[in-house]
Amino acid sequence: MAKLDIPMIDCDIHPFATDEFPIAPHIPENFRQAVAQGQSSQPGHGYQNPFGVNRRDMPRVHPEIWAKEHFDRYGIIYGVLQPPGLSISLTQNIDVGCAVAKAWNDWQIEHWLAADKRYLGSICVNMNDPTQAAAEIRRVGGHPQFVQVITTGESTQLYGNRSYYPIYEACAELGLAFAMHPGSEGSRTPSTPVGMPSSYFEWHSTLPLTFMAHCASLICEGVFEKFPALKVLLVEGGFGWLPHLMWRMDKDFKSLRSTTPWLKRLPSEYIQDHIRVTTQPIEETETSEQLIQLFGMMHAEKTLCFASDFPHCDFDNPRRVFPSRMDEQLKERIFYRNAAEVYHLEV
Amino acid sequence: MALSAKTLYLAVNAMNTKENISGLNNGFGVESAHEATLDYAFDVANHPQPPIAKRGKKIVACAANEIPVGGKLIIESDNLSIGIFNINGKFYAIKNLCPHAGAELCEGHIQTTHRPGEVGEFHPALEGRVLRCPWHGWEFDIVSGKGLYDRNSRVATYKTEVDEEGNVVVLL
Repeated sequence: MAKLDIPMIDCDIHPFATDEFPIAPHIPENFRQAVAQGQSSQPGHGYQNPFGVNRRDMPRVHPEIWAKEHFDRYGIIYGVLQPPGLSISLTQNIDVGCAVAKAWNDWQIEHWLAADKRYLGSICVNMNDPTQAAAEIRRVGGHPQFVQVITTGESTQLYGNRSYYPIYEACAELGLAFAMHPGSEGSRTPSTPVGMPSSYFEWHSTLPLTFMAHCASLICEGVFEKFPALKVLLVEGGFGWLPHLMWRMDKDFKSLRSTTPWLKRLPSEYIQDHIRVTTQPIEETETSEQLIQLFGMMHAEKTLCFASDFPHCDFDNPRRVFPSRMDEQLKERIFYRNAAEVYHLEV
Repeated sequence: MALSAKTLYLAVNAMNTKENISGLNNGFGVESAHEATLDYAFDVANHPQPPIAKRGKKIVACAANEIPVGGKLIIESDNLSIGIFNINGKFYAIKNLCPHAGAELCEGHIQTTHRPGEVGEFHPALEGRVLRCPWHGWEFDIVSGKGLYDRNSRVATYKTEVDEEGNVVVLL
């Protein structure tokens, strides 16, 4: 079982707390009572994966085991962790949410980042208190293995909103990307603009709607003019919609520029410079030629970053995920070069 | 190692000025970060070059008093359709053809636009000289012909003056 020759950066790995690596000891002491009393409760979205979210054959949760079973196995040189704390913003009690976010960051540092330099971390923050979130980013963001801030696609506001500026300012200042991940859509508002899907399948199929909305918001509100150094990752939201958004936004921009006059470039240029999408779950097109055309349309040589979603059940096998006829340079860009640039990694 | 690369990045980009970012390396084929933005389009509009009379032909369009301030006249000549505009008492002529989808550009509204500025700020600019195509609303500066929506677009303009008899004369 030979490794592919190309090094890989996996932009989406999901560790979680276990009895062996519990989260409770990391919760700040003065919040432990509140957590014990259920004050860290969150609303759920009410959709249930019928098979469970993890692969049935997943190895035991342990940084050394995962490094061997996943990194060594495929030749992955860096893997970006996205722990359950990514959805901490759903916590109803804002301050308890901030405290538990800290716990997830300290948990990553102690158990994963220390175990293997290939693990990169995502700083969990409570988006509902941008001031506390910025403070948390500054508290841990200097750690060399934290590469981004992570949150959910589910949100009370679109991410272009100026109330989030303290977070983007901290990210830009520390060279950290800002990333979002789906999975909580429907917790506070329906997961589609119209109403609530009635199956997990339907819910999962339309998750990219949220990312499209955030993408348009970030661009139109001028976040990338305000914070020229900021990079944003849209993780696990698919990418087939990205060319459509580029084309539609560019077309509309040429008519409507004067209504958002702070925009100095085409939306597709902001996307190519500031926004990245990850491969998993890959669009399984009817022909491999179609996938290669899609890569061209979305400027995948800039915008696309490989992710496996290990150990989730909709994991993409790095050995099989791309057509064999694909251009080698494009494969390199997607497998590691684009992520290395966003995360400032030497390869 | 991750540490040194990140530290180096932070040191180099300590001043996250717009000049640092990707206009130079983004592969869009521009020579400067400034040219990569619509500031450049507005620069061109604000510093219009005199139109070049490619055909070397002079046509008498109309009497100057036929076009009031803020008004226009569309004429056909030499297989060209041209819109003549009176902007604050001076006359300008621009080709009556939108480069996008072939609309009669000069049938559109004459407006003021907003120039690029800081996020959240509205700065009225090019007052009374922005032609908005009647179909998709693309904006063109009548005086320079510059399309205000991208770097390169420009619609042909023609040198226009009023002769001693009070007629609007256009040089094609």
